[in-house]
Amino acid sequence: MRKIAVVYSGNSAHYRTFNEPKYRKFIAELIYLPDLLEASLENYDVLIVPSQLNERLLLGAKEKILAFAEQGGVVAAFGPQPWEWLPNQKWEERETNFWWWKEKGASSGLVLAAPQHDLFNYITLEDATWHQHGVFWPVNGAEKLITTEDGGAVLYVDKISTEGTWIVTTLDPDYHFGSYFMPATERFLDGFLPWLAQGKIS
Amino acid sequence: MTQNNDILYLDPGHAFGIGSRESSFIKNNFQLVDQYELEAIDLHEYKCLVVHDFIDQEFMFKQREKVRSFLDAGKIVIFAGHLFKEWLPGCPLFTPKEIHQFTDYEISIAAPHTIFSGVISEEMTFNKGVAGFFARGTHSPVPAGAEVLLTLPGAMPVTYIDRQTTKGTIFVHAGRDLFVNRMQGKSTDRISVQLLQWVHEEYRNLQGAGEKI
Repeated sequence: MRKIAVVYSGNSAHYRTFNEPKYRKFIAELIYLPDLLEASLENYDVLIVPSQLNERLLLGAKEKILAFAEQGGVVAAFGPQPWEWLPNQKWEERETNFWWWKEKGASSGLVLAAPQHDLFNYITLEDATWHQHGVFWPVNGAEKLITTEDGGAVLYVDKISTEGTWIVTTLDPDYHFGSYFMPATERFLDGFLPWLAQGKIS
Repeated sequence: MTQNNDILYLDPGHAFGIGSRESSFIKNNFQLVDQYELEAIDLHEYKCLVVHDFIDQEFMFKQREKVRSFLDAGKIVIFAGHLFKEWLPGCPLFTPKEIHQFTDYEISIAAPHTIFSGVISEEMTFNKGVAGFFARGTHSPVPAGAEVLLTLPGAMPVTYIDRQTTKGTIFVHAGRDLFVNRMQGKSTDRISVQLLQWVHEEYRNLQGAGEKI
C-alpha cells in the first residue's frame, strides 16, 4: 500500500470527503494547508492536492510539491487550475455545463482514451462523468486517460516532466462528494483512492 | 469612507472565487480580503462579516472569540455554507438531508422577508431544470427565537436569522454564498441586492437599539 497524504484546506467539503471513513482509511495524514510548508513529506508516496485551495498558499507551496515529485513522489491534483503550479501546465477554462444530461441527445462528451489502463479496473467512464470545468493540454509523452471529444485531457498521467508522477484531473470529486452533490463523484472516489493506494499507476 | 467598505467579505482564495474577485458588485459593496487576514484585522470599523461556503473553518474556529466579540458589539455575521466546527454562536453543525428524489430539494419560503421578496421559489429550487444547487441540508435545531426564512420539505430550516444568541445578528444559510445570485436573468438575482440592503438596514436597527439602552 502506498502511503498517501492529503493537503487539507479546512473547507467543509474537504472536511467531509477526507474524513469519510471509507476514504480516510487510505489516508495516512491530512496536512493542513497553512502548515504544508513546515510539514515533512518524506514518509509519503502520494500527495493528493485537492481542488479549490487558497491561491496564495497553493502557489507558496508550489516548489515544495515539485520537490516531492522530483524525489519520485506521486502527486494527484483535482479540479480546475487557473493558476500555474503544475509542471508544464496548460489549462483551458471552459464553460461548465452542469445540465448536459437534460439536453436533447445528451452526451457528456467524455472519451475513454486508454481503456487498458489499470485505473479502469477501479472506475468506469460513467464514474468519472458529471461535468468538467475545462481541459488540460498535457506535455508530449504524458498519457491521457480520459479526454473530451476534441482530445483535451480530463485526466492524464505525466511521468515526463519530473522524476515522479503527476495524476492530474479537471474533475473535482473532493468538492462534490464533500458538499453532498453529484452521486457519480462517490463512485469515482470509491475506485480512485484504492487505485492510488495499490493500483498500477505507471 | 463610503458604505461600500464597511462590509468585510472573507475570500477563501479558491479557484471558483475568481469571478467574485473581479465582480464590480463585489468590489463596489464589500471589502474583500483573504480569509487569513481576519486574524490581524481590526473589525471595529466594519458592520458586517461575510463568511463564504469555501471558508477554512479550522481557521474560523481559532477566530471564534473574535467573531463572538464582533457580534456582541452589535454587528452582523452572514454565513452561507455547511458548518462543521463550532465557530458561529448558536449555530448547530450541518446535517445533510436524505435525498430520494429531486422534489426533496424543493425550497419554500417559510416567512416572507425583504431578502427574498419577489424571488420565485421554483427559481431557487431549479437551475436550468436541475434541483439541488441551492441547499441540501440544514443547521437544526435553529437557535431559540430564530426566524426561519427558507425551508426544505418537512419544514427543514435552510436559512435563518438569529437575534437572540448574541447582541448582534447572525444570518445563516445552509447553501452556497447568496451574493453569487446575480446577473442570471432570474428572480433569484434579487437575493444579492436585497441581502445587501438588509445588512445596512439591520445594522441601523442594531445600532439604534444600542442607543436606546
